[in-house]
Amino acid sequence: MPLPQLLTSAIEIGINQLLALDPDSPARLAKLKGKTLQVKVKELPWPLIFSFSDQVDVRTSQTATNEQPEAPISSDCFIELNLETLPKLKDSSQLTQLIQQQKLNLIGDIYIAQTFSTLIKDLDIDWEEQLSQYTGDVVAHQTFSTMQSAFSDLKRQLTTSAEQLSNKLTEPNGLSVSKNEFFLFSDDVSDIRSHVERLDARLAILEQKQLSRTSNTKDDTQ
Amino acid sequence: MSVSDTKNTDTDNNTTHFGFKQVDKNQKVDMVKEVFQSVAAKYDIMNDMMSFGIHRLWKRYTIDCSGVRAGHKILDLAGGTGDLTAKFSRIVGESGQVVLADINDAMLKVGRDKLRNLGIVGNVEYVQANAETLPFPDNTFDIITIAFGLRNVTDKAKALASMHRVLKPGGRLLVLEFSKPTNEMLSKAYDLYSFHLLPKMGQVIANDSESYQYLAESIRMHPGQDELKSMMDEAGFEHTSYQNLTGGIVAMHRGFKF
Repeated sequence: MPLPQLLTSAIEIGINQLLALDPDSPARLAKLKGKTLQVKVKELPWPLIFSFSDQVDVRTSQTATNEQPEAPISSDCFIELNLETLPKLKDSSQLTQLIQQQKLNLIGDIYIAQTFSTLIKDLDIDWEEQLSQYTGDVVAHQTFSTMQSAFSDLKRQLTTSAEQLSNKLTEPNGLSVSKNEFFLFSDDVSDIRSHVERLDARLAILEQKQLSRTSNTKDDTQ
Repeated sequence: MSVSDTKNTDTDNNTTHFGFKQVDKNQKVDMVKEVFQSVAAKYDIMNDMMSFGIHRLWKRYTIDCSGVRAGHKILDLAGGTGDLTAKFSRIVGESGQVVLADINDAMLKVGRDKLRNLGIVGNVEYVQANAETLPFPDNTFDIITIAFGLRNVTDKAKALASMHRVLKPGGRLLVLEFSKPTNEMLSKAYDLYSFHLLPKMGQVIANDSESYQYLAESIRMHPGQDELKSMMDEAGFEHTSYQNLTGGIVAMHRGFKF
């Protein structure tokens, strides 16, 4: 089973299905028409190549096992990064920062990377509307209302449980410290560090003075 | 006469194989045409059923090996219903061109209708052509692909020479074709599947068991991995190589013209 092709196929189907659910995506995709973006994730043995037309085609570049690696596919924009940095691409404003931090190597037109990032980030899918096409408006609305209500309840319960757990750990048994105590402790540690640094600097000055005094005494005796 | 004996006598006289049968070379084109005329309408669904959808991954692998980029001119030979053409068309863009060629007009028509329905127009041309005598000037294409088509060609050496002629210097040929499984157990299971189950599936889905019996037989008569590589070398291709896919059920051969 050609696994890289299975992966690119899954990515391609996923992206295009999501884009098809957002009525505004064709306008954003049109800005990339005819362009190619190559993404080299360091953890993967082959690059991912995105070609943009009325849809997104995802492929990779394969070399036969007994051949020398071919020259990289020419693309309008080439990005090299590691898996850890990949999620940060969602925010196109971070691209320059990531390049400066040497977490991202970019060759070519940065506009393509930014536009692709925006294309994915700005996906606005009305899931209720999508569901209503299969179930009708009433069922879709009720399903989503119930889900939203359940989600809110769950979120509230999680917050309450977290607070209760935090109180139990900090107050009666003192197993842990509260957030404020932690910050106070951190401030104290910072103060001590500053004091130690100042003391260290003063000792250094005194040492230097002592050394120069000793050398002057030696000169006088000679 | 065994299968291998039949294969060896292929070029000795004016006969050639059509599945396991020996037929006159002039007859084979029409016989293959009949097969594909019969299955054209159900071709895509049968491909998905027979290969469990894996043929899509094999075709993707071919595209990944092609080094295609915007502006390229591509010949998708024996392109059938246009699976490769559809993807190539989007990648080469407005500045490139894809020629979908097939000897069979029924397949070409199905392919053209399918691609137009997908909105693929503008940079695709449809040409009815015999792979042995390609109707294009020398040094025309950057890439030539022939997926699951070469085994149906009567004179494969002549077809490979014709492809070499129309390929630009620096261009590459990619041949995706059924081949010989490398594992004995897989080979036996594959034989069982293709000679017993496949014709029955053809009967149920396309109402045509004979065409799928021919498919199984033609796969066995097709040259193995190393033999096809040698044929490509003889046709003038350089840096030839092949990659077995799914245990050698399919192989992707690649050769360059320099």
